[in-house]
Amino acid sequence: MRGKSGLKGFLKKLHKYRVYLLMLAPAVIYTLIFAYYPMTGIVMAFKKYNYAGGIWGSPWNGFENFKFFFKSGQAGMVTRNTVLYNIAFILLGTFTQVAVAVFLTEIHGKKFRKISQSMMFLPYFISWVIVGVMAFNIFSSDYGFLNRIITSLGGEKIAFYTTPKAWPFILIFFNIWKGVGYGSVMYLAAIMGIDTSIYEAAEIDGANVFQRITKVTVPMIMPTMIILLLMSVGGIFKGNFDLFYNLVGNNGLLYNYTDVIDTLAMRALISSNDFGMSAAIGLFQSVLCLLTVTIVNKLVSMYDREYALF
Amino acid sequence: MKRRMKKIASLFLGAAITAGLLLGCGSSGKDTQGDSKAEASGSEQAGGAAEGDSAATGEAGSLDTSEHVDLRMYLIGDRTPDFDEVYGKINEILEEKLNCSISVDFLSWGEMDTKYSLLFSSQEQFDLIFTGSWAQYGQVAPKGGFYELTEEFIQTYAPDIWSVVPEVAWDQTRIDGKIYMVPNYQNEFKQDVMAVRGDLMKEYGIEKITNWDELMDFYKACADHGIYASQGGPWYQFFQYQGYSTTSGAPNSGALILYHAQDPADLDFQYILDWDGFSDYCHQMKELADAGCWSPDVLNDSAERQDGFLNGRTAGMIWNMGSCRTFAKQANAENPDWDATLVDPISNQPKAVQPYINNGVAINAVSEHKERAMMALNEFYTNPEIFDLAMLGIEGKHWEAVGEDQYKVIDESGYGVDSNCNWGWTNANIKRTEFIEDRTALDDTYDGLMDQWNNNVREPHVYDGFSFNTDAVSTQFAAVEAALGTYLDPLLNGLVDDVDQSLENLKNALEAAGIRDILEEMNNQAAAYVSEKQ
Repeated sequence: MRGKSGLKGFLKKLHKYRVYLLMLAPAVIYTLIFAYYPMTGIVMAFKKYNYAGGIWGSPWNGFENFKFFFKSGQAGMVTRNTVLYNIAFILLGTFTQVAVAVFLTEIHGKKFRKISQSMMFLPYFISWVIVGVMAFNIFSSDYGFLNRIITSLGGEKIAFYTTPKAWPFILIFFNIWKGVGYGSVMYLAAIMGIDTSIYEAAEIDGANVFQRITKVTVPMIMPTMIILLLMSVGGIFKGNFDLFYNLVGNNGLLYNYTDVIDTLAMRALISSNDFGMSAAIGLFQSVLCLLTVTIVNKLVSMYDREYALF
Repeated sequence: MKRRMKKIASLFLGAAITAGLLLGCGSSGKDTQGDSKAEASGSEQAGGAAEGDSAATGEAGSLDTSEHVDLRMYLIGDRTPDFDEVYGKINEILEEKLNCSISVDFLSWGEMDTKYSLLFSSQEQFDLIFTGSWAQYGQVAPKGGFYELTEEFIQTYAPDIWSVVPEVAWDQTRIDGKIYMVPNYQNEFKQDVMAVRGDLMKEYGIEKITNWDELMDFYKACADHGIYASQGGPWYQFFQYQGYSTTSGAPNSGALILYHAQDPADLDFQYILDWDGFSDYCHQMKELADAGCWSPDVLNDSAERQDGFLNGRTAGMIWNMGSCRTFAKQANAENPDWDATLVDPISNQPKAVQPYINNGVAINAVSEHKERAMMALNEFYTNPEIFDLAMLGIEGKHWEAVGEDQYKVIDESGYGVDSNCNWGWTNANIKRTEFIEDRTALDDTYDGLMDQWNNNVREPHVYDGFSFNTDAVSTQFAAVEAALGTYLDPLLNGLVDDVDQSLENLKNALEAAGIRDILEEMNNQAAAYVSEKQ
């Protein structure tokens, strides 16, 4: 009886919210087709793939596909690098993006604001391949822009491509430089949405610019920050392949500081074309990401339920 | 309210997951069906050479070409401006003789590594594809991507190819005893040479570069005069000078495990980290790199091999003889005072010819027109008219004939000589050579070296045709490849701080990754291969 009334209630609600559900439908269908349906391909991670059998017909081989990663002796290092880089990207990235958004709103000259925003947005459209070439032309020891300056000032050349320690800074710099314009748009929108009367009230109470920022703007955009943070934590075990591959390439000297899971998997599998192992690495990353995002979400919801994603 | 929405959302999620699973199962059913079909046809091929034979004899003599067929072929590289015009001419001949036409798709060099195997995993419909020992043959064939060519199949549909290609070439193509490609037929030399600037050699007082020590002297002289010698350390030259060769299918494109190619009696593999010569090499390279024989950025430099040489950054370049000659010629044309010439730092050793399987053509396992594809390939391989078209372009527009077996270039810009991935069906019996009008010193050097090499071909070694199948040790193989990246290239180019320490690290990393399993498997396969040959 209970079930019946439950079903009835469900149908009733279905009818009641039909417009909302209709509006939701495209997103649900999109996710089903492009996120859930392909997920069935996960089975490849547990199969010895061959062309004749395809995804479903190839023989199973258990966890065999995961072994190479741990056998390579680099698993710990690349996982550590991936996570640390991502944490740096997330923290510094969020900080600069918020800062830029705040500064942009505080600038009063409209023209200047538009121009500087466009300039910061521009790097987002540059391909990582081009960024890689730019980096090479800046840091190369023969023709590099930086080394030219150093030598013309009478200094000693720095061989950046044989100095691993310089690379975390370089990589983080380029990643933030490329993403800051795009990332700040979200925060700009959030700031625009803040009720101006709050600022007016703050001003009347005698708050200066910095107090306005720290006491009004930042707390008001906190929900946006946390949502975006949670979203990026969802990818914390996925290295940005484009960034690392194009800037570091095949330079083994730098790997201790720059190798991430994705680049290692590429190197290991490019010559053997083993789809099963590639799928295994992807699954490994996804499972860890899922765990992390669940934990972080739990922590956030303990702090304030309204901020949590689910 | 909020709670309820959440509930509804989670309900949707649940439904989505179930639907996904159902969808997956549905397609799984379909796929296994297709799979069993493929398996069935596979066993037909395997078990039924006789069956195929009887079918063939049924229609012997007159092969059925009554139905018109459009074939599709994949080649590597880029489409040249006149390519379609040339293949239009080829299609005219094919239409007339075999009632078929061929359309060509290209995989560019850059995407070849990634897209080649995807063509097979996506079950794309095409008929012919370029392959070779360096172009995925060893990877795609064992996974069932190529159609197995039985001897009867070849004799029936490509009798001319069967009479041209020698037994040893077919043997090289065999994987577990089965043939999956038609190899090309020509003596291509395996060893690289060096193009160097003659003016600098004279300036540094180096008369000739014919052995390792003279090569090292040249490198050091370059560094002393503030010019880079080449792009990176000459590792291949080093082990080839000692008589070693790479083993096909081994890690690091075969260079991690070598065999003694100059001594047919020596059947041991040389794992380079067990070899004193390797540590010796690494120490020498460290010295050269520190002296400035090449840029400290070599590992990141994406420049082509010829770039440094042509723009004057390096005094030499290392590549195969043909490319070295081409670029030396170009360098001389742009800088007449450079006097670029060719040298062979490994002149002490008899010359190895490339395995015939270096280039070839395979038939797609899912092709619907395998027979017609083989017949068309037969024309490409042995019909001089089509062969000339594919290699040289249109006579009168791109080239003109000089006598029976030579050609003169008229215009190379539209099509290019021997550069449209026509290498898969290269047939030395009908291949024209270039006629050169105003000869330079470079041409004489080239011909001299060529003569020397042709008279000094080394004895075949049984491992020349051996190709390691990594299937049984794919985990270790991938782990080794992953571990190599960190240490090997820096060592080969002398860029590490402490050579011995790096060698030790590399050694330990490879042991942990399972190099011994690979070596053991390799020895087993090699023993089986050798006993099969004898």
